[in-house]
Amino acid sequence: MTTGRRTTALRTAVVWCPDWPVVAWGVPLSEPAAVFVANRVVACSPAARQEGVAVGQRRREAQSRCSDVAVLDRDVDREARLFEPVAVALDALTPRIEVTGPGLVGFPTRGPSRFFGGDHALAARVLEVVTPVLAGRGEARVALADGVFTARLVARTEEAGRGPVVLPVGASPGFLADLSIEHLEQPELTSVLIRLGLTTLGSFAGLEAGDISGRFGVEGLRAHRLARGEDGHPPDLRRPAPDLAVTWQFDPPADRVETCAFVAKALADELHLCLEAEGLACVRIAIEVETEQGEQHVRLWRHEGALSASALADRARWQLDGWLHTARSKSGVVRLTLVPDEVIPASGRQLGFWGGRAERADGITRTVARLQGLLGSEAVSVPECRGGRGPGDQVILLPAAAIDLGAERAATATAWVTEPWPGRIPPPSPARVRIDPPSIEVVDTVGRSVAVSGRGELSGIPALVGIERRRHRIMAWAGPWPADERWWDAAEHRRRARLQVVLEDGSAHLLVVEQGIWYLEATYD
Amino acid sequence: MALPGAPPLDLALIEQIAPLTLTGERLLAVPSLLESLFIWGGIPPGWSIGVAGNGAWSMAMAIWAEALGAEGWIAIVGAPDVNLVTAAELGVRLDRVVVIETPPTKVWTTVVGALIEAFDIVAIAPGGPVGLRDARRLSARAREQGAVLFHLDGARSWPTAVDLTLTGSTQKAGWQGGSWQGGSWQGVGDGHGHLRARCLRIDAVGRRAGRTRSTTVLLPGPDGVLAPFVEP
Repeated sequence: MTTGRRTTALRTAVVWCPDWPVVAWGVPLSEPAAVFVANRVVACSPAARQEGVAVGQRRREAQSRCSDVAVLDRDVDREARLFEPVAVALDALTPRIEVTGPGLVGFPTRGPSRFFGGDHALAARVLEVVTPVLAGRGEARVALADGVFTARLVARTEEAGRGPVVLPVGASPGFLADLSIEHLEQPELTSVLIRLGLTTLGSFAGLEAGDISGRFGVEGLRAHRLARGEDGHPPDLRRPAPDLAVTWQFDPPADRVETCAFVAKALADELHLCLEAEGLACVRIAIEVETEQGEQHVRLWRHEGALSASALADRARWQLDGWLHTARSKSGVVRLTLVPDEVIPASGRQLGFWGGRAERADGITRTVARLQGLLGSEAVSVPECRGGRGPGDQVILLPAAAIDLGAERAATATAWVTEPWPGRIPPPSPARVRIDPPSIEVVDTVGRSVAVSGRGELSGIPALVGIERRRHRIMAWAGPWPADERWWDAAEHRRRARLQVVLEDGSAHLLVVEQGIWYLEATYD
Repeated sequence: MALPGAPPLDLALIEQIAPLTLTGERLLAVPSLLESLFIWGGIPPGWSIGVAGNGAWSMAMAIWAEALGAEGWIAIVGAPDVNLVTAAELGVRLDRVVVIETPPTKVWTTVVGALIEAFDIVAIAPGGPVGLRDARRLSARAREQGAVLFHLDGARSWPTAVDLTLTGSTQKAGWQGGSWQGGSWQGVGDGHGHLRARCLRIDAVGRRAGRTRSTTVLLPGPDGVLAPFVEP
């Protein structure tokens, strides 16, 4: 170190492509566009930002501020795939690239900086290498500072088009001091700190580490280290034993992303169990792939919180997706290895007294994974709420493979869907909705088949229902509820009408008529 | 006996420091309106329960909502007709539900066996008859793991007797004096209104039920959840 001060922050360069989720969709940044997850903005183009669209807004709010905003769905796979060329370009400068996520990549600069003749020369070189790859689709901001956290904030706060910024050695605490505490991106912690009157990183950094540890635990200590301009995790000098790496040999070679991704998930689970047994968590992982022709691809991935098994599998999939889609490798993959490159003692997660919630969800996840192996990944599913008119349409089933069962899942609460659905039959909902509704007969008091007119009127009073050649008397009925669905789409257009009936035996059913034929759609079982 | 001048007992604290309950003695909670159907006032882990008759599935769902609480998990196997919208209306937390729609017959036992090891409740509706050996093995494993098996088909295809069968029935509906006297559903008439509430009588029988127990409730009640039935 050139300064006498002891610092644990590793000098790091960061390349950040702002608004990457929008850029990945190929939308010019001069046009208003926003990317949504679960109806909330997660990224938007500068043009949309100028109109008042902001991250975290609901879709309606964003559209009310900027009516011509393009609404895009989040596609992380695509983001990762399109970001891969940026990482490849940087590979030419240094072998120690760490991708944090699509749009953000960093590397330690000690070696490259010496080679290219200083921090400024290196930063200029990085920009030079990355710019042609982006081909005008987005911009890249380059920053060099002590520590990943600081470098990232430098890149964020830098003004567009000013070129790379180099923060001198030891200047991190000074740079961070005046920034808002919210840059820590730990909403729970920062909301407490703000209430305590600590609104800047500098004021938080001024507290004693011992006090922080006593009050806020491991997470607080980590935030404190970041605020002081140090690295979040003190480097653990114990190198992970080589046998922690997990490997899979493909025979025959795999040439599809799905095949590799499936194996990557299994490997990630295995690695996770090994790490857990050692009491470690992984914060940086190297994913190594070897192809038939002996090519080797290695990529380092970093994650600020410890990487969970599904997060590991995701990264492996992104990386393979990027490689197998670029023309560079036409040959199949013969070997996939996951190496925990940097590990920390797993101390952050507190389990409940009797094996808490997280452990519980892990057990469920393992069972689900086992059954997916047995039945196929589509066969095991979990519910999520959606809008809809039909009796069972408000809940859909998604493959469990795509969902982290241990996480909070907002979309499973019925309050999740707030839009009204005109034409929906009022609750209670029928407990049994037929997957394959049997066709039935509905006749009126004089024995004619009951029809529903285009204006939603019944041709007669329904008196009898014929189910499987047995007739049941209708004791009470309500409706009809007409549903004219997808009238804008000729192929999907459906006109239906529904009727609630109570039969002699006290059972209640929901009947539906479509194109003159009645079906037993659901039962209030 | 309270000493004069002593502070009142803190009941919440007493609950916390009370001697711990062994897993074998732990009961899965049931809705208080249905407690009288269960000889222990709850479901002992490892029991198998069949639901049959009118309102069978609503009954099962109302029990799940209470038994699972905030942390329990349920798997529903081989019953693609189950409408989870209704389950959510009756209070089941959908983020604790895993569904396996129709497992192939030859791996059915393996699937249910694996689920019993991880889930608190496994709801099944076998597509065909279950072999005696498989049934005994699954029941034994459920008792060992403390999982509750719910037979959504009233245990029709199960070769051994279940611990408890709950059968729902509604009063016969009929026309009396020109107006409809619905013993079962309220809120619906002659072409108007919509289904709102159902008066359901539930009978509990089985080898572990003791005597036959029954109760009458509104399921669903006017608010969409289980409600007490008040004699008019």
